[in-house]
Amino acid sequence: MTALLTLILSFIGALVCGLMPAGAHRQIRWVALAFATAGLGVSAVCYANYSGGEFADLVEADWIPSLGIGFATGYDGISLPLLLVTGLVAVCGVLFSWTLESRANQFYAFYFALIGGVYGVFLSLDLFLLFVFYEIAVVPKYFLIAIWGGARRQFAAMKLVLYSFGGSALVLLGMLAVFFLAQDANGEALKTFNLLALQQAQIPAAAQQWLFPLIFVGFAIMGGMWPFHTWAPTGHVAAPTAASMLLAGVVMKLGAYGCLRVAVGLLPAGAQAWASWVAVVAVINIVYGALVALKQDDFKYVIGYSSVSHMGFVLLGIATLNLTGLTGAVLQMFSHGVIGALLFALVGTVIYSRTKTRMLDELHRLIDHMPGIAWVFVAAGLASMGLPGFSGFVSELFVLLGAWGSLSGWIVGGAGLGILLTFGYTLVKIHEAFFRERKRPDASQAKTAYPPMTLPEKTGVALLLGAALLIGLCPWLLTDKISPSLKLMLERLAN
Amino acid sequence: MDYQQLLLALLPDLLVVIALFIALGVDYSRLRGSALAKRYQVACQISAAGLIAGLAVLLLQIAGTMPLMKSTADGQLVLNTGTLTLKALLYAMGLGVLPLAKRDPITPQVSEYFALLLLATLGMGFVVTSRNLLGAFVALELVSLSLYAMTVLNQAKRASAEAALKYLTFGAVSSGFLLFGLSYLYGATGKLDLTQMTGLQHSPMLVLAYLLIFVGLGFKLALAPFHLWAPDVYQNAPTPVAGWIGSGSKIAAAALLLALLQPVFDAPKLKAALIPALAALAVLSMVVGNLGALRQTNLKRLLAYSAIANAGYLLVGVVAFSAAGNASVIFYIVVYSLASLGAFGVVAVLTDKLGREAEISDFNGCWNTSPGLAVAFLVFLLSMAGIPPLAGFLGKFYLFFAAIEAVPEAATWVDGFYWLVAFALIMSVVSLYYYLRVLKAFLVVPADNGAAIAPSKIGWATGITLCSLALAVMALGLWPEPFLGLLKN
Repeated sequence: MTALLTLILSFIGALVCGLMPAGAHRQIRWVALAFATAGLGVSAVCYANYSGGEFADLVEADWIPSLGIGFATGYDGISLPLLLVTGLVAVCGVLFSWTLESRANQFYAFYFALIGGVYGVFLSLDLFLLFVFYEIAVVPKYFLIAIWGGARRQFAAMKLVLYSFGGSALVLLGMLAVFFLAQDANGEALKTFNLLALQQAQIPAAAQQWLFPLIFVGFAIMGGMWPFHTWAPTGHVAAPTAASMLLAGVVMKLGAYGCLRVAVGLLPAGAQAWASWVAVVAVINIVYGALVALKQDDFKYVIGYSSVSHMGFVLLGIATLNLTGLTGAVLQMFSHGVIGALLFALVGTVIYSRTKTRMLDELHRLIDHMPGIAWVFVAAGLASMGLPGFSGFVSELFVLLGAWGSLSGWIVGGAGLGILLTFGYTLVKIHEAFFRERKRPDASQAKTAYPPMTLPEKTGVALLLGAALLIGLCPWLLTDKISPSLKLMLERLAN
Repeated sequence: MDYQQLLLALLPDLLVVIALFIALGVDYSRLRGSALAKRYQVACQISAAGLIAGLAVLLLQIAGTMPLMKSTADGQLVLNTGTLTLKALLYAMGLGVLPLAKRDPITPQVSEYFALLLLATLGMGFVVTSRNLLGAFVALELVSLSLYAMTVLNQAKRASAEAALKYLTFGAVSSGFLLFGLSYLYGATGKLDLTQMTGLQHSPMLVLAYLLIFVGLGFKLALAPFHLWAPDVYQNAPTPVAGWIGSGSKIAAAALLLALLQPVFDAPKLKAALIPALAALAVLSMVVGNLGALRQTNLKRLLAYSAIANAGYLLVGVVAFSAAGNASVIFYIVVYSLASLGAFGVVAVLTDKLGREAEISDFNGCWNTSPGLAVAFLVFLLSMAGIPPLAGFLGKFYLFFAAIEAVPEAATWVDGFYWLVAFALIMSVVSLYYYLRVLKAFLVVPADNGAAIAPSKIGWATGITLCSLALAVMALGLWPEPFLGLLKN
């Protein structure tokens, strides 16, 4: 039951915040922080209590038995890092929205509805339940972006929701097919949505050939897979900071998690057949995302495309279908979760609230005006580049080692090129934002120093950067939990 | 025939008829010359009393505490848990329409308004309990005629009269088709009782009969290409009436369609001949409804196109020709009707002082002035769009589930109904666009000129109605098992 508290608390948080008076934004943010912290605390307890590779904390009950639908939740080493990152980003999202006043009660109602849905996806062990939570996470995104977003928010919100919903339509079709096609060892139809039962089931190999791309692409749309990634940069950019942190940090992981848990986990034959295609698309993601990031003038778009690029590593890790690569994929989900959220927080709130612009060619040697923030950003940029010592290094290393073992050299070479490009755009953009002299310094740009970071901002940065550093230095903190579960999963797939 | 038994079986209807006459009588005698508001109040109270009494008896009948015959000769009445539940549901929803109708005194013919509402409800109750060709047809006509008349009640509005005329002409023609189809069905089988029609053989006459029936019922369900009346009628009928057209009459028509198709279940060749027609109607309705709704600026008109699209989804469950398919269709239409009635209820409450048909942009800023109504509207519209955990999602899921289950041997996406389900899913992605566009007005944008539309006074009866509709939509999504159990019977 412990793990279920995360989503129960989130939904209660949504209700409580929604019912508070709109004017009480000071009280609301503390309430929101309390609920988010409680969620993180529960995830941490789950982390501390977990060992071995099996599913823990199983809750199973009948829900709609006439349709073969049950209520089943639990977590293993694959979902555990994602629960942690959800809790972490949820807390930091509140911290970086500390100054939000307009319609604060509704903001946090949607915010916690989204987070509850995300926790639900990571905890669901029933395909139908997973889908329900996956969809619950869609609608709040629309309102978060459309109401509190920046320029072109209506367009971006609609685009994001239609892409997500399109992806879930594919998933729903695939899910129904899995339900009716899954058989037990004797060839009897199973007719269940229970993931634990489906993992043991046989699905005809011919059907897997068309089901795998259907379900994989359906989930991967939310994971930012090329060529269906275009919702991500526009959505991230238009979203308010807390929402873009959640989008980059958590929501994109929903897609990747679905790819891993459902598409690969239930359709091994399909995954084998399509792995090289997934790898090709993943490399396109990595290289293309990096190249486009290099061309952006809007700082937030740079981060948006870097998210697309980094999610390519998750897809590549999944495509390897071996223990090292998959461990790297899960690690990268965690790593990009914290680093992506951190970058969005820095660009969207910390820098933007001071400079009032995100256009790189309007920024003039910010290092002089906000030295502290600039160095924090440099650190975050290094983390994003995958410098040793940060989590990104470990995860990308795992992915590349895994890819070396099972995929062609071209793929590894392409991913390597992507890493070089990542170095390139990160350094170039950091230079443009913080160190470059502008030809015509704008008179309106403050000559004096900007105010330093506030306490909530500092706390948020410390939490996220600390997490990236901690996992970078001690990756075994997560890999010890991830690997046993993946090993079990691969054993099941081999059968 | 045992008349005492018949009297007991028809007691709910009898109570409603009595209320109807009392309402008419009181309005014409004692309240003659009274203020309009007073007359509305009294007529509404009497009608409500009748429906509540009827509902109470129905609940006793369902619970089995009342000795009840199972059916009468020729399947005129088939009373089992399933049909009685539907009838009770229709009575309850009719009860919900009453406070909405009372809010806006559109016509001086007060008691006629409520009498017609009760007559339509009675007719719907008969349609869902009858398994006799003639009985069901007459009941359906009772519904239709009441609805035609109610559409034109607001005599001050030209557009209303035009819409009613359109509704009447289209409706009359479609009733002709339906009757024609029913007579062919009778001619081919020699029976009026649908429960007795077994062992149908494939014959051109039967195919023709069913195609004619599809035309007739397609009109009532607003299936494309028989939908042309719907946008005008939805837009120009008094809002509570449009709500009742979009909910109760849909349940009745869908139930009748299933009853008429029941004999086809064990006639595989006939079934195979009818499936393409039904699938074509489904695809066409989804396309026309969803694409048509994209460009609408009038909210009620948009809801009409959404009704067309939803009728299309409905047929996905019908083509399954299975018990699960039937249950899914009934579940879906009930859930859709609850949400539709709720949405029209919110619109009625918000616009009864507006003096014209509301554009979507009229609702800008509702989140600020009437947050409760905005949240209720969110629930109703998201349910129609099929977002979990609301009942509309489960309804759609069940339809698709049943359609795929119907051809268990299908293993590729071109087999069975995978393609139809895929098409319906694509179309529901499209539908999300316009539902969100409406919700954007309700929840996202601030009011134009700072003055958002505000309800006059919601009132406790309307409040309870909207609350219970919203709760029902949520409850049926979260815990549908009991209701599904009732439908399975």
